[in-house]
Amino acid sequence: MKARVNRWQIIYLSVFFVVLYLPVLSVILYSFNANASTAKWTGWTLDWYRQLFNDRVIGQAFVISIEVAVLTAIVSAVLGTAAAVISLSLTERMKKAVQWVMLLPLLVPEVALGVSLLMFFNALRLPFGHLTLVLSHSLFCVPYVYVMVRLRLAEIDREIIESARDLGATKWQAIRTIVLPLVMPSIITSALLAIAMSLDDVVISTYMSGPRATTLPVHIFSMMRVGVTPKVNALCTLILLGTFLIIGLNQFVNIKSKPKGVV
Amino acid sequence: MKGGISAKAGGAGGAKRGGLEALRQNVLAFPILAWFGLFVGIPMVYVVVVSFLTRDDLGNIVWQFTLDNYRRIADPVYLRIFANSFLLAFLTGVVTLLVGYPVAYTTARLEPKRRNLAIGLIILPFWISSLLRTYGWVILLGNWGIINNVLTALGLIDQPLQLMYKFGTTLVGTAYMLIPFMIIAIYNSVDKLDKSLLEASYDLGAGRWQTFFKIVLPLTIPGIAGGFTLVFIPALGLYFISDLLGGGQTVFLGNLIHTLVNRGRNRPLAAAFSVGMIVMVILVVAICSRVTRSKREGFLL
Repeated sequence: MKARVNRWQIIYLSVFFVVLYLPVLSVILYSFNANASTAKWTGWTLDWYRQLFNDRVIGQAFVISIEVAVLTAIVSAVLGTAAAVISLSLTERMKKAVQWVMLLPLLVPEVALGVSLLMFFNALRLPFGHLTLVLSHSLFCVPYVYVMVRLRLAEIDREIIESARDLGATKWQAIRTIVLPLVMPSIITSALLAIAMSLDDVVISTYMSGPRATTLPVHIFSMMRVGVTPKVNALCTLILLGTFLIIGLNQFVNIKSKPKGVV
Repeated sequence: MKGGISAKAGGAGGAKRGGLEALRQNVLAFPILAWFGLFVGIPMVYVVVVSFLTRDDLGNIVWQFTLDNYRRIADPVYLRIFANSFLLAFLTGVVTLLVGYPVAYTTARLEPKRRNLAIGLIILPFWISSLLRTYGWVILLGNWGIINNVLTALGLIDQPLQLMYKFGTTLVGTAYMLIPFMIIAIYNSVDKLDKSLLEASYDLGAGRWQTFFKIVLPLTIPGIAGGFTLVFIPALGLYFISDLLGGGQTVFLGNLIHTLVNRGRNRPLAAAFSVGMIVMVILVVAICSRVTRSKREGFLL
């Protein structure tokens, strides 16, 4: 197919991308500003980063966020993959039901979901902290794992599984030795996405945080509300750097796993 | 293919014991359904229940039936907040559609290499912290922000323009946050378009615009409706954007619920507002999916 794009369309696209990334680049740029206000640029500095590393509250929030994100990713990867693999052998109706249920957490606005979970966990007298954070985060992460693994499963040639069964493999053996290795790249990608989403969540975390477990975004939000300081910029820049490391890692995993792929 | 046939054969053999067979086949799905039922379904039902209850002076929920919360919602002051939220979410849908459609359309028609780059750039913001992206606008639009600095330096203005803390500021921030959803939804439907239809239209003498409005636009309406849902729902609840960019000048549902839970400690009222918000979502999702369905049927006929 011939691509037909005229010059104006390219210009529009370019302007759009500039606007899309301008706010992000501004935050990064001003994290190096020696002046505490954005009013003036008074030279480059790393002071804000230095201050950041000496801030114990931020350090604690960071550790909690990472713990929650990793646990969320593990829980979501297991549940999402299980749901996707199980879906292979369900009746059409049940498949639809599972799909619909997976959509549910994404159909409820985050505030409403957060408030409802707050009231529910309160009624159950669950301690607010890691447990509630991981439970609530995995609600909106599992669907992504499920969708990505299912997309990958759809690509796999059913005959491979059939042959394995014909050669005497049990259902579980076929899943473990054939299906799982083939969908592994998708599981890893979606687990990393789960980490990113968990690390980014503000709204639900606000309600799920306990007195001794505040996540980083919740803390950053309260910093932003108080006022503009380049320390926030520095923190955001570091998080961005971390995220890009995760994406890079993911690309690496994907490229490495590709030549081996049977399909 | 082989798998499909053998599965069908097995299904026919087990037809007599259909119910039991189906149950055995589906039993593994029950834990999944139960998990979401427990952590999404029951909390939702619980919120509806709480919205009919009262509270004591300490903010604890008291199990006493009342319609007071809903009576309070019907107050014009609060109805105004519903209207604000609806307007914000609706306009976010409109803005992201108008800005995003050309992006999606152009991207779908790029050559593969450039297209992949463009898609990467559209998706990348999903990975970037939403607080960072909101904060970027504070730095750009503030009284001492980059835009005002540049305009002052150029001598175009003497005093900083008041760009922050307006309804429009919240709208810009919300649309900016959610536009990738809209673009991806539209892109998928543009990408699926049968290219021969366009060729046929051109061959029959239709111009670019005529082809666009008569062929492309109607066929991508499912994508638009899908994108609208994906944008509308979060737009109702992203209270940190209206908080940071709108400065609380216009009160939205998300901010109100947040304040009621955190400071007001009036959870039954917050529950009633949450129920109102969910009803709004259900209405919009129903309308959008009806639009999609009628379009599909219309096309098949």
